[in-house]
Amino acid sequence: MENARVLEERKEFIWDGQDGRGGNGIKCDANSVSGSVSQRACVYCGARVVLNPITDAFHIVHGPIGCASYTWDIRGSLSSGDDLYRNSFSTDLREQDIIFGGEKKLKAAIEEVAEKYHPRLIFVYATCIVGVIGDDVDAVCKAMSQEYNMRVIPVKSPGFSGNKSVGYKMACNAIMELIAKHKNLKKKGINILGDYNLAGEMWIIKDYLNRIGIPVVSTFTGDSSYDSLIRASAAQLNIVQCAGSSTYLADRMEEEMGIPYIKVSFFGIEDTASSLIRIAEALKDEEAKQKAMEFTAAERLKLQDFLTKYRKNLRGKKAAIYVGGGFKAISLIRQFHSLNMETVVVGTQTGKKDEYEIIESLVNKETVILDDTNPAELEKFMKEKEADILVGGVKERPLAYKLGIAFCDHNHERKHPLCGFDGVINFTREINSSINNPVWKYVKEEL
Amino acid sequence: MRGTLVNLNVNPCKMCMPMGAVTAFYGIKKCMSILHGSQGCSTYIRRHMATHYNEPVDIASSSLTEEGTVYGGEQNLIKGLKNLITVYEPEVIAVATTCLAETIGEDIIRIIDKFYNDNPEYKNIEIIPVPSAGYAGTQFEGYMKALYQIVANVDMNPEKNEKVNIVTSILSPADTRYLKDLLESYSIDYILLPDLSENLDGIYKSQYEKLPSQGTDIEDIKRMAGARFTIELSGFTEDNPSAAEYLHETYGVPYKKCNLPVSLRDNDSLLRLLEKISGRKTAEKLKKQRGRFLDAMVDAHKYNGEARAAVFGEPDFVYSTVRLCVENGIMPMIAATGSRCRNLKEMLEKEIEEVANSYFANDYKILDDVDFQTIEEYAGELGVNVLIGNSDGRRVAEKLGIDLVRRCFPVHDRVGGQRLRILGYEGALSFLDDISNVILAKKETTFREKMYDRYYKEDGIKYPERQINHKNHNIIELNIPKKEFAAPEKTREERTATHPCFNCGAHEYARMHLPIAPKCNISCNYCVRKFDCPNESRPGVTTEILKPEEAFRKYMKVKKKIPNLSVVGIAGPGDALANFEETKKTLELIREQDKDVTFCLSTNGLMLPQYADDLINLGVSHVTVTMNAADPKIGGKIYKYVNYMGTYYYGEAAAAILLSNQLAGIKMLTSKGIICKVNIVMLKGINEEHIPKVAKKVKEMGGTITNIMQLIPVEGSVFADLPLINNKEIMEMRKKCGKIMPQMYHCKQCRADAVGTLEIDRSIEFNACHKTENAKTISEADNKMEVDNRTGMDSRIEKDSKTGSAGRIGTDVRTGVDSKTGKDNKTGTDNEAGMAVRAEADKERIIQVAVATKSGMLVDQHFGHASEFYVYEYNHGNVVFKERRSIEKYCSGIEECDVKEDKIESIIRTIADCDAVIAMRIGESPKMKLNRKGIRVFATYDRIEDSVKKVASDLSGL
Repeated sequence: MENARVLEERKEFIWDGQDGRGGNGIKCDANSVSGSVSQRACVYCGARVVLNPITDAFHIVHGPIGCASYTWDIRGSLSSGDDLYRNSFSTDLREQDIIFGGEKKLKAAIEEVAEKYHPRLIFVYATCIVGVIGDDVDAVCKAMSQEYNMRVIPVKSPGFSGNKSVGYKMACNAIMELIAKHKNLKKKGINILGDYNLAGEMWIIKDYLNRIGIPVVSTFTGDSSYDSLIRASAAQLNIVQCAGSSTYLADRMEEEMGIPYIKVSFFGIEDTASSLIRIAEALKDEEAKQKAMEFTAAERLKLQDFLTKYRKNLRGKKAAIYVGGGFKAISLIRQFHSLNMETVVVGTQTGKKDEYEIIESLVNKETVILDDTNPAELEKFMKEKEADILVGGVKERPLAYKLGIAFCDHNHERKHPLCGFDGVINFTREINSSINNPVWKYVKEEL
Repeated sequence: MRGTLVNLNVNPCKMCMPMGAVTAFYGIKKCMSILHGSQGCSTYIRRHMATHYNEPVDIASSSLTEEGTVYGGEQNLIKGLKNLITVYEPEVIAVATTCLAETIGEDIIRIIDKFYNDNPEYKNIEIIPVPSAGYAGTQFEGYMKALYQIVANVDMNPEKNEKVNIVTSILSPADTRYLKDLLESYSIDYILLPDLSENLDGIYKSQYEKLPSQGTDIEDIKRMAGARFTIELSGFTEDNPSAAEYLHETYGVPYKKCNLPVSLRDNDSLLRLLEKISGRKTAEKLKKQRGRFLDAMVDAHKYNGEARAAVFGEPDFVYSTVRLCVENGIMPMIAATGSRCRNLKEMLEKEIEEVANSYFANDYKILDDVDFQTIEEYAGELGVNVLIGNSDGRRVAEKLGIDLVRRCFPVHDRVGGQRLRILGYEGALSFLDDISNVILAKKETTFREKMYDRYYKEDGIKYPERQINHKNHNIIELNIPKKEFAAPEKTREERTATHPCFNCGAHEYARMHLPIAPKCNISCNYCVRKFDCPNESRPGVTTEILKPEEAFRKYMKVKKKIPNLSVVGIAGPGDALANFEETKKTLELIREQDKDVTFCLSTNGLMLPQYADDLINLGVSHVTVTMNAADPKIGGKIYKYVNYMGTYYYGEAAAAILLSNQLAGIKMLTSKGIICKVNIVMLKGINEEHIPKVAKKVKEMGGTITNIMQLIPVEGSVFADLPLINNKEIMEMRKKCGKIMPQMYHCKQCRADAVGTLEIDRSIEFNACHKTENAKTISEADNKMEVDNRTGMDSRIEKDSKTGSAGRIGTDVRTGVDSKTGKDNKTGTDNEAGMAVRAEADKERIIQVAVATKSGMLVDQHFGHASEFYVYEYNHGNVVFKERRSIEKYCSGIEECDVKEDKIESIIRTIADCDAVIAMRIGESPKMKLNRKGIRVFATYDRIEDSVKKVASDLSGL
């Protein structure tokens, strides 16, 4: 493997069977190694992931055009109402603004939006440059909020100030700033945190809850709006689906609004079933619990034949996983397991130490575990471990294909849901149709 | 920039400089790029390129952190260079800066020098700096700048050679391959800069190469200085540094700049140039391709002649595509680039002029530094029917229902972006076919309905539904020149179908009257206009007279709040035409913003002959004339006087003038296709017998419908005491006249400032909304909201806090997940009491288990690391989730709890009431402590429910 070189500094971020494990464990939660071609994005990206699904807000990117251009309408979050969030708004800073500051431009932009559209909610994302040229975004937002009687909330997301996780946190802070002061009368129902309604996933979860008689008060942030968000304090319970992005929000809501929370997952049959039952239990709602058990049992039954059929087709296939957060990786390992598949390479962009420990305990000794990896390492280990399929995001797709490896997109751009019982079907079919596609046979043929 | 929001870029039609720079370097052999800046830039650009080219795109980043930003990023960049050399072993490295690096003032030339000095072993690697702050330009400028930096930085070998340099603006890999074939067909020994044909559209190989092994060799680049000629394929290097000019100025290499060979003319002139340079004749194969292109141009010219295109993208793409369009009679209504490009307008005006003149389409737009909001607005206004550009135009396509021909970068929503062709006769032909086929496809799928709508007149007015449906089809009337018909977007039939006063089937549509016309030029005996009461609804009544600007503002406000608003009417309170200047101004202001709304106007008709043409030009499609008599004798009893051209006429003379003007005016309007309704007020003992005659007259003049109305007696008017006509009489009269012509049965006799549907008047709501200080309304709305919130708040909570009770929302609502547990040393009293009762009743079977979990799904947490436990009950074989307990609360909330207390102690306290604890791992010491307290300990990794079941059945078996 002549061009499969691993940087010395990167070795601590990699666990593989040969080099042994243990000691202080895998190195993670650190800055990316310069020049290593990390797959990570930036703080701004993390903030955008969490906030952008708020459908009726003006999301104004204060910065040069690139930041806005590369994030314009690229995610599959759906809306049942407004579609303002699918537009890109940017102050489009130019050289002049870098020299003289961008505050004026930002202020003029907000004033114009306020006068023409009278929005109730504006988010202002501060990008790399804004921090450096010294714009006081907080002050502008505050002044504009007062002048126009609307909420203009700054999101502190200069790209260099950490990684995506920091961006999640900044977004959660922005959400708290919006909702904290809205007190509502308590009513039966829950909030869903950490679901972004990709391909309608929030709707699927809501439908399940509706079937078992549990109302949803507010959703964070898939298919949400100003009105729906400020209702949040009425809920009795928060459920957290994407723990990586939203546990911090759940903690703050518990602390400051007194809403307890539980973590749930709707990926895979087992998680979906036990999550629904758990929610009913947490609410001490016997009737809902009964319904949840009946509903999930019926759905499980429906899937039995389907899964038996596909498991045969997938038995013994080897998966590589490279995703954003630890929880998603864990959930995928278990889903592959339930399909009789083995995970041979697994890595995350921003996994935490304890998540890696769980991953370690879930996989075989020979499985390679990677933190903040790069194309060269992915190539090396996927080839060494003879992976049949890679689960990842769009950037990793062409690499997999060049290596003759099937691919499953488990990122924000996908256009079919992977959660709930429908998600099990979609996921299984997608894996099967890529792994068992005839093209892999033909690409090996010689002329 | 234009567009509704001028201070914001809304939906960018451009990307940033580093993107362009990196793209150029993908055409250099064994080259790796590193972006000096924060990690996100490289990741975003990689994603953007990977989805277009469907190739792995590796771009390193110096991954600047907070520290690097403050103290300089030199260390990061040097380490980054070393690392990428180790992994990729490149021969060329591009160091492109980003916004961040440029702003903090990174001197990359110095850093690169230092790198060479400190690492002499890397002296053979060519490192090329590209200053490319994202805010300094678009990807186009970044790309051109990169090419310039390459020729300006590589150590050149000026020794003369026989090579020909070709420097190109951004091309697709497929077009690049075409260009290479072309040069080879003339046996030209060329150096192509850059050549991304293989690296960004690679072949499937058994062995993957992460470093692009194809592309322009650095050794060839060195020979560019000695080449005999340079061809630069870009029309836009004047604003940008030009590689060809640099080679000419520095090494005396002659050059010629050519347009991208897309149009026939540009293909021909490139071929002529190549013939000259090579001394060879153009190959037969190419001549055949040319002939086939010409043949195809002729075949498709009539379809192309209907095309009104919006072309957008990088400057060279736009310029060359427009040249292709105009050769084929495709009218470029919009030519737009996101780059700043001062000479684009001048260059393109020359191109478009001829076709614009022959089509009388001089309202086309040439725009630079543009965003998609602006393109979208113009595309709607100018009746564009085909979009040509990158896939970022898909939102406009989706919204306006116009098909998009995808070319240029990026194409994210289709496969094969890297293989799209525009160059050469064949490339241009496939491009042109795609454009023509958009026009054809639209025609094929819509012409039946469209012709039906336009020409099927039988009972047309009675079948509004079918016509209304068509509104959703986004059919744009393309062939109607703008100036002749003032309102080309909607047909009159469509307008009638959505006009609530002209079509009873259109009741779901709203209309608004703008009270801008206070003066009247006749005096009717039934009218007094001095009263206003907002609760009274009848013609001539308004709360306030508006100025045209105010009326416009009011319209915009109402339009936002009432989306089904389809009609704006001017109905007094005086006569619209007696206030023609105001009427005109108001309608012009509105039309500028809204092409769609239907203009309607009501008048007594006195001034109609004078203003009929003006009304048509203003885009008024519906006019209501109130005409109570067709005989001056009867009219004389109804009108007190008429003020015509400054002279007062009384009695029958007045009525005669009015009548003749009414009839002439209606005729003028209807002959031009304007829909005329005639209102007739039925006056007992005055015109009741005469009304059928009026209707007949109206019919003769081409009126569409008459509306026979009751008199609303107004105190102080001459007819205040006239006996009323009852409903029955009205209906009978309408029925009688219905034999003559269509009748309106649903008139509500509205106010002059009416707003809403005919059923629900909302004028009060919108009073004063035209005022400039709209802050008032906003703050009012907001205050209301605040009040709502306050009343919505749980009063119990306030009480709780007053009494000093520790109760919080969580306790009040009893979610079952008790967040306040730990207010005292034990668990919540509720729980405890409950436990005690249950324990007594069912002593041995209830087992309480604490689970250390992070995910909430699995036992996946160290005991010592746990910040929370999920507590379960095991009861008769059932596992039931009880609550989530946070350890922090057990510590911070308790007075006796020492802050420094051992964490294990507080963990143990959290679960003191449990029978067992399950964790992924646990140390020996806590295990013993727990055992001493009688809490059993289990270490496992499993699903929560399963593990609790196992543990509990173990325990209950004891």
